[in-house]
Amino acid sequence: MKLELRGITKRFGTLVANHDVNLVVNPGEIHCLLGENGAGKSTLMNILYGLLIPDEGQILIDDEVVTIRDPKDAVGHGVGMVHQHFMLIPVFNVVDNVILGSEPVKPWPVIDYKAAAARLLDLANEYNFEIDPQATIENLPIGTQQRVEILKALSHHASVLILDEPTAVLTPQETDAFMVILRSLKESGKSIIFITHKLREVLALADVITVMRLGEVVGVTTPAQADERKLATMMVGRDVNLMVDKAPASPGEVVLDVRGIYVEDERGLTSVKNVSFEVRAGEILAVAGVQGNGQTELVEALTGMRRPSAGRITLNGVELAGEPVRRFLDAGIGHVPEDRQRYGLVPTLSISDNLVLDQLDDPRFRRRFGRNLKAIKNNGVQLVERYDIRAQSEEVAVSALSGGNQQKVVMARELSRELKLLICSQPTRGLDVGSVEFMHRQIVAIRDSGVAVIIVSSELDEVVALGDRIAVLYDGDIQAIVPPTTSREELGLLMAGARAEQVTL
Amino acid sequence: MSTDSRSIVTLENLRSVSRTRSLAYGITLMVLGVLEFVWYGSAASGLHTIIQFGYNTATVWPVVSSPWRFLLLFFGVAIIALALRAASVPLYSRLVASIRGSRTMTALIGAYLVIWPVLLWAGINQGGQLRTMTIPVALTGDVFGVLSIATGAVLAWRRLDRSASGLLFTGLFVFLLGFLIWVARGSLDLQLTAILASAVAVSTFLIFGSVSGTLCERSGVVNIAIEGQFMAGALSSIVFTSALQGTGLSKTFALLLAGLFGALFGWILAVMALRYQANQIIVGVVIVAFCTAMSQFLVTQVLDLRQNLNGSYGLPVWAVPGLSRIPVIGPVLFDQNVLVFVAFAIVIMANFALFRTRWGLRVRSVGEKPIASETVGINVVRMRYGAVIIGGFVAGIGGAGFTLGPGSPFTYGMTSGYGYIALAIMIFGRWRPYGALMASLLFGFTIALSANLNLYLQQLVIPQQFISALPYLITIVVVSGVVGRIRPPAADGVPFERR
Repeated sequence: MKLELRGITKRFGTLVANHDVNLVVNPGEIHCLLGENGAGKSTLMNILYGLLIPDEGQILIDDEVVTIRDPKDAVGHGVGMVHQHFMLIPVFNVVDNVILGSEPVKPWPVIDYKAAAARLLDLANEYNFEIDPQATIENLPIGTQQRVEILKALSHHASVLILDEPTAVLTPQETDAFMVILRSLKESGKSIIFITHKLREVLALADVITVMRLGEVVGVTTPAQADERKLATMMVGRDVNLMVDKAPASPGEVVLDVRGIYVEDERGLTSVKNVSFEVRAGEILAVAGVQGNGQTELVEALTGMRRPSAGRITLNGVELAGEPVRRFLDAGIGHVPEDRQRYGLVPTLSISDNLVLDQLDDPRFRRRFGRNLKAIKNNGVQLVERYDIRAQSEEVAVSALSGGNQQKVVMARELSRELKLLICSQPTRGLDVGSVEFMHRQIVAIRDSGVAVIIVSSELDEVVALGDRIAVLYDGDIQAIVPPTTSREELGLLMAGARAEQVTL
Repeated sequence: MSTDSRSIVTLENLRSVSRTRSLAYGITLMVLGVLEFVWYGSAASGLHTIIQFGYNTATVWPVVSSPWRFLLLFFGVAIIALALRAASVPLYSRLVASIRGSRTMTALIGAYLVIWPVLLWAGINQGGQLRTMTIPVALTGDVFGVLSIATGAVLAWRRLDRSASGLLFTGLFVFLLGFLIWVARGSLDLQLTAILASAVAVSTFLIFGSVSGTLCERSGVVNIAIEGQFMAGALSSIVFTSALQGTGLSKTFALLLAGLFGALFGWILAVMALRYQANQIIVGVVIVAFCTAMSQFLVTQVLDLRQNLNGSYGLPVWAVPGLSRIPVIGPVLFDQNVLVFVAFAIVIMANFALFRTRWGLRVRSVGEKPIASETVGINVVRMRYGAVIIGGFVAGIGGAGFTLGPGSPFTYGMTSGYGYIALAIMIFGRWRPYGALMASLLFGFTIALSANLNLYLQQLVIPQQFISALPYLITIVVVSGVVGRIRPPAADGVPFERR
């Protein structure tokens, strides 16, 4: 099936998310849509899938104009989509999820489960998937869940598959397996639109690459004509430095000492199990691992937001486990949380207020019973300038800022205190390349000033680029702490749960 | 973003949680057992409790006058049971096997067929006149105490994860039975069958209410307005029936009308919650407040002046031919007013609709993760409208049970909070119609017990008011999540906004 988007324009208020976008996908082609966060890739695909209605432009299937007003239309025209956050119902089993919306019934309102399961198994065999139709989704590994999503799209007779950032949640090994699946889909004549910002995957997979920036298509190329550097330049619009410049670390005294901590999540399940490590002044410990392996709970424990059920957390010899958050802050721990909107900022407050959120009882910002508004404003002006926060003024509410600038506000606030330890959780998630560079430079600079740093990231590239040592977290346990020279394959195996001794290091 | 990325739910994790719970349950049961053993077991040895199995000798079938005839009966039943089982095996795999729990049902029915002749025989007095059973209190206390301790011990030591709740309920049931026998000790008869029958009658509106709640919440809308829908159903049905002087046909239409009024308030809730995205709890509470005020207005301004519009008309009692003559469960289940059978039918229909049909799958998906349903072309808002209106219809019919059930006129405040208890029952029943049925029966039993226990109060140190408050107390315990791992639909009460 040939798919063509012609002159698509979509505006949200004054923001132009897509401007005159043209895209042609030929049958049996893997078409990579490359662009930074906010470049308009997802908007474009949501238009194609009927979740958004374009303001201008046409969608053509086999050279005929079609209207797609909702996902049902899209499915009817053979368009299937695998969303970045899976559209699976966790408590349903595989069959229920696959048939939802197009259930076989016999007699009328009763679902014909026998036929449904048989059809599912046929489909799975056709593409060599191994799947238990009765398994409950939430008990399946992420990679398998993704296969269920693909099966779901295929069962709706999709001939164009849109895959939105499909590798973001996979380990390197799962990614390899996933690529094999994509190639077999391609061989069976399906067209694939692959949305990503990972250059390596684009070059390995694509037949055609379309690069988007700021809502427009800036170029169409092929892997043969491009390399990582060229693609990155197209994507960002200027030369970018893909490597992080940093000198070798010169670790000092042990700053943070964590001994045998156990942490429970809100459902009472132990999600961090007997974790011990130490971090020295002037080094970066990067915590790698697939999302949901206890990173969130570990960070919450290290910042005092969650009380560990056992174990000790010592900062410069002072025991902190079980103390209130205030004590953690006073002890010199800075925290850039993974969900900055929720834990890092108060979106409705101004930039300058957000910059002193944790320092309101500092004498500088206090005045009798209230706040020293002048000092807070001055502080805001200074930090906005120093950290290059792009805003009309320091009085603007942070909700009006872009993700990168919001993150800069959080970083600026944390670094404006005297720190012993900085904990950054997913510091660059959802940021544009410029902001990523900025964050990375800041993190390396604070390390060089003698502060201990912990980075938690699910992006392997980031972990390898920043870490002086890499701790791999799997199922709440540290599998190993390895040097950053470790190969991606070995890291991948550790992230998938292999023990250190099974991996040849 | 952080909420869907967190947490790997592994079976192992869940098991370890339920194992810890299992230990706690086991220890609790053992403590109860020890109490039972010491307390009930210490009753004076001469005391007996007489349990009646039927209202009178005529209702029990077949008439067994001597132990010898019982033997014939026992083997006869055993042979019939075996033959039935053999005959049903080929059918079983095709028709029944797909229905979950059918195995348990067969086992229960089989066990009942074996046990009731034994009970009969044990209960037969000299001359075979009264179907009653005489039980020595002290011995019962000892035996049941030991049973409770044993169940508790099995739970605590084996740390079962799957079969834990079954054992737990068996243990609690045994404890309750012991309690009853102890309370009724002495000269008074313990009218077990009568208590159970009134328990089923009381649970009728609880069944309607909790099934209504289940339907709504499965689609992701909290229906806290059940109390109001009860009132609307109760009032409209009795006024309609009275206006037509209680003809048979008017009662049928009155039920329908009650359902329509319930559905109307369901529709109002749906419009407020789905179109205007108002807070569902607040809308629900406001609907209840409106219905309360409205019913008071109608009672004082209209019904008190024209009393012929608020008469006493009851739905007919229907004894199912044959089935109603089975001892114990006959009078309890099959000799009831018509609404009870409607309730059973609605439970079966709701369960089938939710778990076997296309509509049910879609409703459940909308209550779990509406955005996922939307991406496969399901109209989330329309599904929710449907579920809430049907839920309101069911609650409305349940409301008719307050007036037409016992055949009493409408009085202000007669729903006395059962609409809210129904929500607790829905939670206890884990958002499943069959669970709701079981939980309703349990609550109904508590309510019937607290009403009947007055008879034995002279033997009881507990004040009557406390006993009356028992159902509400249990509600609080249930809602606070003491009973097992309870997991509501993920999108329950969360408004859905199309992007």
